[in-house]
Amino acid sequence: MPEPPGELREPPYPVEVKPYGRALVELARSREEIVCLSGDLTRQCEIDLFQAEFPGRFVHCGMAEANMIGIAGALARRGHVPFVHTFGVFATRRPLDQIVNAVAYPRLPVRIIGFMPGLSSPGGPSHQAIDDVALMRAIPGMTVIDVADAVETRQVVAAIADLPGPAYVRLKRGEIPVIFGEHHRLSLDRAQRLTDGRDVALVASGMMLAPALAAAAALRGRGVTTAVVNVPVIAPLDAETVLAAARQCHVVITAENHLTTGGLGSAVAEALAEAGLGRPLRRIGVDGTFGEGARTWPYLFGKYGLSAQAIADAAWRALGRPGPPPAAAIPASPGGEYAPV
Amino acid sequence: MLADAIRLRAVRMVAPLGFGYLGQALSSAEQVAALFTVARPGIDRMVCSPGHYVIAFYAAAAELGLLTPDALAGYGQDGSAIEAIGTERSPVLDHVGGSLGQGLSAAAGFALSDRLRDRDARTFALVSDGELEEGQIWEAAMFAAHHRLARLTVLVDANNSQVDGPVDTITTIEPVAAKWESFGWAAQDLNGHDAAALCRALAGAAAASRPTALICRTSVRHGLDCLPADSDGHFIKLPPELASRAAAEIAARLGRDGA
Repeated sequence: MPEPPGELREPPYPVEVKPYGRALVELARSREEIVCLSGDLTRQCEIDLFQAEFPGRFVHCGMAEANMIGIAGALARRGHVPFVHTFGVFATRRPLDQIVNAVAYPRLPVRIIGFMPGLSSPGGPSHQAIDDVALMRAIPGMTVIDVADAVETRQVVAAIADLPGPAYVRLKRGEIPVIFGEHHRLSLDRAQRLTDGRDVALVASGMMLAPALAAAAALRGRGVTTAVVNVPVIAPLDAETVLAAARQCHVVITAENHLTTGGLGSAVAEALAEAGLGRPLRRIGVDGTFGEGARTWPYLFGKYGLSAQAIADAAWRALGRPGPPPAAAIPASPGGEYAPV
Repeated sequence: MLADAIRLRAVRMVAPLGFGYLGQALSSAEQVAALFTVARPGIDRMVCSPGHYVIAFYAAAAELGLLTPDALAGYGQDGSAIEAIGTERSPVLDHVGGSLGQGLSAAAGFALSDRLRDRDARTFALVSDGELEEGQIWEAAMFAAHHRLARLTVLVDANNSQVDGPVDTITTIEPVAAKWESFGWAAQDLNGHDAAALCRALAGAAAASRPTALICRTSVRHGLDCLPADSDGHFIKLPPELASRAAAEIAARLGRDGA
């Protein structure tokens, strides 16, 4: 069912800072088993707030990600609930073997929080987690989450606290848009259809939700209706909700701040194929290439086709509509500048 | 002289951005200057493991005419190949890391290649003290010593700075020189801002029978008195007024026009 009226804001979206850091502190007040591990990116991962409030449960692990995951696994075996923090690249690529053997195979409740997803880091290929969802989604039992806004970011902390197994959450750094209203509820079980449409099923996650909504609005102006589906949980995928939207539309578009292979686009392709549901599928994302260093992430999102326009173009062409696609854009993001670190 | 010229160029590279990896250039300026003095162009290999330090190599290369002023002006900008963190596109160096702690393995690989091909060349690598927290550094250190890669020389920029603060408040890495020695390397501590001593040590390491680690004790604010004492060494903020004062301070030492 579509989100109730008023639960989806109109752009330009207001922004918040440190919604994750504040939510973690809030939860940790009543949950003494929560411990916070930092891989030399404390302020950047918003956990300077946790460090100030609970210094006894905050652990500097330094720049040593493999060891940090091994420590977290052992803490979880002893009943702690470790939240492990670094950038998404360093949280997934570097300690992949440790995540598999020290955390996922023993099915331990370690929460791995990776900041600066995809091309939201201007720091170049070494700092851009364009494959983190694919890597984590390949691990049996790993819950993989890419939330879209500050409301979902605040809620994801409590939502994952009691998961029996491991979880990976990718979070934007810096200024976080507020897309949803206060009554929005993040579900780890259900994806959410945000708008109704009969032409395009547009399945988006994380930072691509805002461009997806902008593309849907632009298409609506030209008589194309779009069912936008927000998928914060990519693994396990709520295939039922995705398929329900796809069934009533002519084409399916996925949009992710990630490689088009191994992430949301792949998960949706698998769901469509397994259901025997034939729909033209177009995957918006980083298309088989590495990124590059830059001054700002919006430049990279534009260059690599992670934009409302790229989504609108793909939908227009997939539907075979004549003439040029409608112009689509979200109002310029607030000038939040930060280090690629 | 070259070290201060590196500092001046680094200030001018960071100024348009308003912030950047200036601290890395300030702490490593003499080491990078010494490397460009001792390394034989086209023969010896040069590796920068911490990719954030590439600013200092760019600055040195520009000073020596190996990089154009136009290229340097693109540092860190949208669409520029002169990226703020090293990538495969980075010029000047044989290898530059981006994800930290991996460059020493590349340096050991280059030294091994030269040995396999009976090639008379040295490999120089810059490694930061924060990188010593990564396990791969020590895997490479054991490898290099075991395989007696004596033509490999490492400069460890011991500036006691990482993102979360002074290295010694995050992880105890000392005694650094003793660690390298116990791993089979020749190692010594020295003042990393003494360019002449660095050149002597780099030249002396050519005759070593083991790989050599020079532990260069430095500061991320060296050579720039106008920086606030609480500047974040990893990522220094440089608003226009401070950038002007910084350029003027260094230019005065060099006897150049600071504008």
